[in-house]
Amino acid sequence: MLFAPDDLKAILEAALEGGGDFAEIFLERRRTTGISCEDNKIERVHSGLDQGAGIRVIRGDNTVYGYTNDLTRESLLETAREVGKAAGGRGTKPEIRWQQPQPNWDFQVKKRPDQVPIEEKVALVRRANEAARAVDTRIVQVSVAYGDVIQEVTIANSDGVLVEDERIRCRFMVNAVASDGRIIQTGYESAGGLMGFELFEENDPVELARRAAGRAVRMLEARPAPAGRMTVVMAGEAGGTMIHEACGHGLEADLVQKQLSVYAGKKGQQVASPLITVIDDATIPGKYGSFRFDDEGQPGQRTVLIKDGILQDYMYDYLTARKEGRRSTGNGRRESYKDRPIPRMTNTFIAPGRDDPQAIIRETQKGLLVKRMGGGQVNTTNGDFVFDVAEGYLIENGQIGPAVRGATLTGNGPEVLRMVDRVGNDLGFSLGTCGKDGQGVPVGDAQPTIRIPEMVVGGILEEEGED
Amino acid sequence: MDYPASAKKYLALAQEVVERAARGGAEAEAYIIAGEDLNIEIREQEVEALTTARERGLGLRVIIDGRVGFAYTTDFSRSALEETAEQARANAARATPDEHNCLPPPEEYPHLDLFDPQIEDTPLKDKIELAKEIERQARAADGRVKITESCSYSDSRYIVAVANSRGVGATYYGANCGASIFVVAVEGEESQTGFGLAYSLKMADLDPARIGREGAARAVRLLGGKRIPTQRAPVIFDPYVTVNFLGVIAPALAADAVQKGKSLFRGKVRERVASPVVNIIDDGRLAGGLASAPFDGEGVPTQRTVLVEGGVLQGFLHNTYTAAREGVRSTGNGARGSFKATPEVGTTNIYLEAGDRTPEELVREVSRGLYVTDVLGMHTANPISGDFSVGIMGLWIEHGEFAGPVRGVAIAGNIIELLKSIEAVGSDLTFFGSTGAPSIRVAGMSISGT
Repeated sequence: MLFAPDDLKAILEAALEGGGDFAEIFLERRRTTGISCEDNKIERVHSGLDQGAGIRVIRGDNTVYGYTNDLTRESLLETAREVGKAAGGRGTKPEIRWQQPQPNWDFQVKKRPDQVPIEEKVALVRRANEAARAVDTRIVQVSVAYGDVIQEVTIANSDGVLVEDERIRCRFMVNAVASDGRIIQTGYESAGGLMGFELFEENDPVELARRAAGRAVRMLEARPAPAGRMTVVMAGEAGGTMIHEACGHGLEADLVQKQLSVYAGKKGQQVASPLITVIDDATIPGKYGSFRFDDEGQPGQRTVLIKDGILQDYMYDYLTARKEGRRSTGNGRRESYKDRPIPRMTNTFIAPGRDDPQAIIRETQKGLLVKRMGGGQVNTTNGDFVFDVAEGYLIENGQIGPAVRGATLTGNGPEVLRMVDRVGNDLGFSLGTCGKDGQGVPVGDAQPTIRIPEMVVGGILEEEGED
Repeated sequence: MDYPASAKKYLALAQEVVERAARGGAEAEAYIIAGEDLNIEIREQEVEALTTARERGLGLRVIIDGRVGFAYTTDFSRSALEETAEQARANAARATPDEHNCLPPPEEYPHLDLFDPQIEDTPLKDKIELAKEIERQARAADGRVKITESCSYSDSRYIVAVANSRGVGATYYGANCGASIFVVAVEGEESQTGFGLAYSLKMADLDPARIGREGAARAVRLLGGKRIPTQRAPVIFDPYVTVNFLGVIAPALAADAVQKGKSLFRGKVRERVASPVVNIIDDGRLAGGLASAPFDGEGVPTQRTVLVEGGVLQGFLHNTYTAAREGVRSTGNGARGSFKATPEVGTTNIYLEAGDRTPEELVREVSRGLYVTDVLGMHTANPISGDFSVGIMGLWIEHGEFAGPVRGVAIAGNIIELLKSIEAVGSDLTFFGSTGAPSIRVAGMSISGT
């Protein structure tokens, strides 16, 4: 524990002297290691310690937040008083009785990254670098990065919640650059999870490196993507960027309550094709968006957001749940002690359906097959979203045709989800850092192979040619 | 806070850490940043959230036999600093040696006006009032502006200190402030988002009325969007959109990207990389520039660097490492995102120089084309290949006049092609943070619609 329970109580009491009706302290100690290789060199070996505390006081619908990385008792008491005073109102002396919530699931880290010699981590990075370069002579640059983080948190609030937790995450990334002297293309692969060094038992760095390099080289031979409306098949292995953008953000309760979501006020309504079920689940072992407790001390859970096309629920944190007199769904997350928690996704996915993924492609006359999605963005207010196609192919007469590059898909969340006419029985995960209000948190996204009869592909008009 | 006294104190601490880390012939560099931040968020004329922060951290870089090691800490206790030094030295042992790894010598620094005392002296209630006024102005500007997505005022005051074992020992302090609003305009079933924002070194420059009205205008003018067919047509980017594109180009102008074969501009110095009307400049001492500083993250004086002149590439941005590798002088672009990272090559105040055409003239000369006011998914553009494809918000132009907003439209292309096909540059240079650009008109682009 980063602080004794009695000290935490004193800090929360000081925070409520000013008059707020809820106080919380989030203490964090984060140790990180990072190794990066580029240009065939181990360029950087980093390690760091970042610790601090965020104190939050809520009064009615209003929040005051303060943070410091001076973790002396005096400094925290002072920050608590300042924050409490800014919240205003009449002072209260809460009766705090500690209760320690139990998580809905648990996990064991098999190989703590702080017990793995740094040489072993460096060797992993080197192996991946070499493997990527060996794929093709047109690979001109490779960057490989390894990172691990051990985050210890203590969360205590005036309702008596007291949680201490340790989150361990490892991540590995390979970015390959290929050039034929005329054009440059890139390929990216990553693996990561709420787990220790055992990440590499399931994910071979050499295999990841080959996949990234292979994609970069294939994209050199790709033709510019066509432009306009067409049928789109998103492969299960493509990752879950689309569902994250198309509806995930719109189901976060803060955006819903502020009427900033197209899904506001639609609980119980049909918002997607009956083939579509969407779930947010923090309790899938080892996934990048998983956790035992969220950043407010609420146990992580599995929440069905859309069932058979009907909107079931939104994702809540403490504050948005309180506004509706209900319980949080364990989606209160923050990037660090510097940030106040907001509703965020964990691992979000479209549940698998019944169709054979191969048959979906076979039964598509003409269209675009997305084999890998890149990043995306959504305007939650009207549901318009875009995402980048990192690897795509034309589908011609039910066959996978030539590769295309430079495509972006744009659409409207509810419109696209209503149109989905095939859902495969596979499920492919991707991981990433989701940005919202300037805060990045680790998330997982997934979907089965799905088909959308019509989407706008942002590409290049054919008559322009290549150059 | 007593900034001059604190700056002196942190510099002394940085020097002390350097001395300890540089034992036995190692080179060492300590970088400290300490600051105070304030952020106020308003909704419906109420303070929805208020955040105050005090933060500090130290990043330590050591070079032993050409190998770089790095460690950072926010704990300034003697034992934590000692451990950080040990860690940085241990990390160096794992890195690949490179003879170009070195630290810069001390130099003279310019004096810049970076600290407006008004930012610190203005009472909290006046800052809250400023944010509220932005929201009032946005609502008053048009009745269809119904939702505030966010409306905020923020400022930060900071001290930077850098010391190294070659004798660099420098410090400065500064402050900046900013305000923004994101609103939603609603008409029937449709809603559209618009924003207004401004960041400045001087509090007096923040004009709440202008920020609020701009947010409203940007949202309202997108209401009633219609689909357009897929086609090729001239496209005008307003300054905000041009800034977004400049942000994609900027990493390719850094010497490390060039040296690693990852830049679009590699091997193109003295060649034409853009239309003759294009000039791109990075200026680390620009008066009033949000990224202005007397020295960069390594203690090298900042400077004005012309990157593209008349469409011809003049050179690249350097930090100490890339300069040593190239045998040139650092341009003072050793950028540090925070104390948690080693100095990379980054831009300071980078901008596309203003032209002499008014934005109205740019529109008037288009018979059929697209005026783009915002983009969706800009971060998916690939700065290495230059390929981009983004969703856009904007207005259709017919016979030199706006003919209504468009929806469900994407534009795609390659950034090099785009730079070469800029046919006119507007006079309306506008900075968004530390990146600035005017409106530009591009001869023809692929527009994906229905």
